[in-house]
Amino acid sequence: MNEVQEIEAHLLKSSAPGDALLFEAKLILDDELKDKTHYQQKAYELISFYGRRQLKQEIAAVHQKLFTQQEHRGFRARILRLFKTK
Amino acid sequence: MILTEAALEREGLFVSLYKNVFPAAAKYIARRGGNFDDAKDIFQEALAVYYEMACAAKDGIRTTPEAYMMGVVKNLWYKKLRDDNRLLPFDDQTDDVAEDERQNLLLGKITTLMESAGGKCMDLLKAFYYDQLPIKKLAETFGYGSERSATVQKYKCLEKLRTEVKQKHLSYADFIE
Repeated sequence: MNEVQEIEAHLLKSSAPGDALLFEAKLILDDELKDKTHYQQKAYELISFYGRRQLKQEIAAVHQKLFTQQEHRGFRARILRLFKTK
Repeated sequence: MILTEAALEREGLFVSLYKNVFPAAAKYIARRGGNFDDAKDIFQEALAVYYEMACAAKDGIRTTPEAYMMGVVKNLWYKKLRDDNRLLPFDDQTDDVAEDERQNLLLGKITTLMESAGGKCMDLLKAFYYDQLPIKKLAETFGYGSERSATVQKYKCLEKLRTEVKQKHLSYADFIE
């Protein structure tokens, strides 16, 4: 687990200056560490992608509710009036 | 759905932002000749941008959600106008269709990946890195006895996902252009 944490500190730039230098030196010498760092970066990007997709689904669900449920009919009418062709 | 409480909180936030800001956004777009779907797409994107920004801002936001989101809405509307006015040669349009198919294929891959990485793990990682939930809240939400065990689990999940990504040679670049 320490290694995952160490890579995270490097990628998210939260390591202390001394540790950061040490890690960069290790990266040059250790191909396996370099490889793990690369894929860990990809993992963060994937989490963001997954997060954004979920977020857009949640927002779409809210839209659906507001534009179908009876209790929001006043709001709905107010919006739809704006798009009536004149 | 594991994140019931956090998801409910988000739902409440989105409903309130929808009610407070969507009327102004829709009015802005309607007055400039946009239709309901334009307003919907642009507003939903602005809401997502606002949410991401609000989660990432450590020391709060210096403007109101309304002002922030309306700024994004206006930018997106101008971007849409610019893109719509750009005439695409036929070949480029065909490329777009192929691109959509490619995206769908890759979304299939991502789903498989998420399943093999474990649904709970992905939700945990998302809650921490994307929604930026504090570790204390993360421990409560996911039912861990302490912040320490939530942290350990988070790193285990991250390592698992990293292994999956390597094995399947997947990367973010595969999911976007």
